[in-house]
Amino acid sequence: MNEQKVILEVRSIVKEFPGVRALAGVDLTVKTGEVHALVGENGAGKSTLIKILAGVYRRDSGEILFEGSPLELNSAHDSLQKGIKVVFQELALIKGLSVAENVFLESFPLRKGGTIDWKTLNRRTREILDSIGLDLDPTVKVSRLTVSQQQMVEIARSLSHEAKLVIMDEPTSALTPNEIRLLFDVIRRLRGMGIGILYVTHKLEEVFELCDRVTVFRDGHRISCRAITDTNTNEVVTDMVGREITTLFPRTHSGRGDRVLSVQRLSTQEKLRGVSLEVHAGEVVGVFGLLGAGRTELAKAIFGLDGVSAGEIAVRGTRLRPGSTTHSAHAGLGLLTEDRKGEGLVLQMSVSQNMTLPSLREFSAGGYIRTRAEGARSQEFVDKLAIKTPSLKHKVEYLSGGNQQKVLLARWLMKKLTVIILDEPTRGIDVGAKVEIHRLIDELAKGGLAVLVMTSEMPELLGVSDRILVMSAGRITGEFSRDQATQEKILAAAIA
Amino acid sequence: MRNTVSARKGLVSRVSQYNELGLLAVAVILFVVFSAGSPYFLKVRNLSNVLGQISLTAIAAVGLSLLVISGEVDLSIGSLQAVVALPLLIVMNRTGSFWLGVVPALAAGLLVGVINGLLVTKLKINSLIVTLGMLYLLRGFVYFVTGKVPISDASNNPVFFAIGNGKLFGFLPIMAVLMIVILGVFIFVLRSTSYGRRLYAVGGNPEVTRAVGISPEKMKFSAFVLCSLLASVSAILLASRLNSANHMAGSGFEFQVVAAAVMGGVSLSGGTGNLVGAFIGVLIFGLIQNGMGLMNIGTMYQLVITGAIIVAAVAIDELRKRRG
Repeated sequence: MNEQKVILEVRSIVKEFPGVRALAGVDLTVKTGEVHALVGENGAGKSTLIKILAGVYRRDSGEILFEGSPLELNSAHDSLQKGIKVVFQELALIKGLSVAENVFLESFPLRKGGTIDWKTLNRRTREILDSIGLDLDPTVKVSRLTVSQQQMVEIARSLSHEAKLVIMDEPTSALTPNEIRLLFDVIRRLRGMGIGILYVTHKLEEVFELCDRVTVFRDGHRISCRAITDTNTNEVVTDMVGREITTLFPRTHSGRGDRVLSVQRLSTQEKLRGVSLEVHAGEVVGVFGLLGAGRTELAKAIFGLDGVSAGEIAVRGTRLRPGSTTHSAHAGLGLLTEDRKGEGLVLQMSVSQNMTLPSLREFSAGGYIRTRAEGARSQEFVDKLAIKTPSLKHKVEYLSGGNQQKVLLARWLMKKLTVIILDEPTRGIDVGAKVEIHRLIDELAKGGLAVLVMTSEMPELLGVSDRILVMSAGRITGEFSRDQATQEKILAAAIA
Repeated sequence: MRNTVSARKGLVSRVSQYNELGLLAVAVILFVVFSAGSPYFLKVRNLSNVLGQISLTAIAAVGLSLLVISGEVDLSIGSLQAVVALPLLIVMNRTGSFWLGVVPALAAGLLVGVINGLLVTKLKINSLIVTLGMLYLLRGFVYFVTGKVPISDASNNPVFFAIGNGKLFGFLPIMAVLMIVILGVFIFVLRSTSYGRRLYAVGGNPEVTRAVGISPEKMKFSAFVLCSLLASVSAILLASRLNSANHMAGSGFEFQVVAAAVMGGVSLSGGTGNLVGAFIGVLIFGLIQNGMGLMNIGTMYQLVITGAIIVAAVAIDELRKRRG
């Protein structure tokens, strides 16, 4: 670590797409044995730069120096050959093959006759896995590994190529706290081997825990590059959003009305064990729990997405038919699901079509959709939530994560609801959009809705909730009013 | 990132417009080639024939497209052609009334649609397997009932004859009129009604529809029923053209319909495509068959050329998607 050399130097890279300047001349340097954080809001240009370094896009102008010499990349294969390994969020593993086969996919050790030398393959894989402190069987199929283990296999793959620079794009987005710790250990070992790591993330706490320097991008410009020891969260956030965010949790609603949602002794086959709760009109109730505590299961069971084995759910005194989402929706219940792509968006459909899916009835007469009314209403919410989209007809697939989340929120805001359940409403979206969503939650409560927020983010929980319920192993293990709640009390209940 | 997005969007929408135009261009080219290749092709009588022939496929393709858009498929519609004709001819021969025959004919189609739909949505069996099984089962049933001897029309019912063979103004087949009406109705349903919108959503992502309070099972079930009913309409027309209930009727029809719809851009993965495209797919098939017949191209070449065109059309579609 004492003799750090610059391994990657990016000089005034420009990349334009029709109508937009994704990168307006950015600089970046990564040294050997350093974890360098790259942060910025959605649309800042991080992904574009990664894709240029991975050989997916070609730059319009500017220079890339790798180990001091100019680098020309024409394909993903090129960049791997040169020693740059990019670990994308969507892992590029072949699930039906073994760990070892994946690690050496591009360069199987061969015997004389050209057949695969399985012994060497497994031994060298074992060595690589050991070197990053992983206890995995090289012969096990990748499909049997957890997401986090698969990610490790991707990282191990970079070592089989003797990569000198490893780029990671949001590597923790699908991991549990324990897995994140393990990943950080692996990254630290890579750093110890003198490998340069470019770590792209939304999560600032990770930056401060793991990284040595941090570069901030905004709107295609590099705003700052600082040593972690010389900066703090506020400074980085200000660089990211370009203004100082004063209140992360705007709060204007007050007072609560009638009880509108009541859940009594709700149990499911798999997870929930007699959960009871109430939510009143104009109240935001936060539900906290560590991974596996049953937050998502509770949200789904209340809405009827999962079947229940016992218990009762009522909205304004009307008992819901268990397992019928049609009935729940009819009763004025809405659920913003955690899994944006799996249960949230219809990717092939447009922004507007995604928004109006549950409220089509309001825009149609005898089944005929009044397109103009639908368009006007959609536009109203695009404006209100400041959704960045070229048009209402734009496919939702091509929006950024934060804007997709806003489309989903708009879907439920546009319908007349009594109760809304938000499961991880700000997962994977950037600081600016987070604040907007928190503002919306506040507005919903102000408008008289009963809001149930499932979250694993402590600041969000403490910021938005009037009342906090804590879950552990499928039960409610603690309830705190806003004033009583502290991080310590909540965590104590969460591990109870 | 936002920027790459807009670039991509432009390309996708441009190329996908291009896709339907591209298909239309294929149809036009075939039209020109056959006009040059055979002196009979452009005759009013021949074109009127083509229109009649494609009506059968097009009507079934409308139903199948609805089902494929919802994310399922039905291979039993070929065998259904033979099944539906049975009660039609039997009842018509007994009573002499075409309309009394239509009732049990449609009921038979409805029943098959309901069975397919229940097996897929309640028992969660893959629709390819369910309807492949049904394809064999129904054909076997028809062999059994008819003893492989066609049941001829003994009623000489004029309406029955007219629906498959009659022409308005001397050139417009009544079948084509029926096709245009059905096509028009369902283009409207898919484009402008909430039912159509939900069908696309279910095919695009069934979990999402469930999470917004729409039951994907109900939607899919309804699509199975519609598919079978529309296939039954084409079966009645076919029976009229054959003037009998033939145990071989509609053999291989299912693949022709699926291939035409997929060629027209109705993706087997569900959630995309439209009936205009599916119709152009049917049209291309109709032109190939008719034109090659007129040009005296041997059956084996016809099969090879038809196969090549299917693969080429789907390959183009795949390339288009990849560029998006």
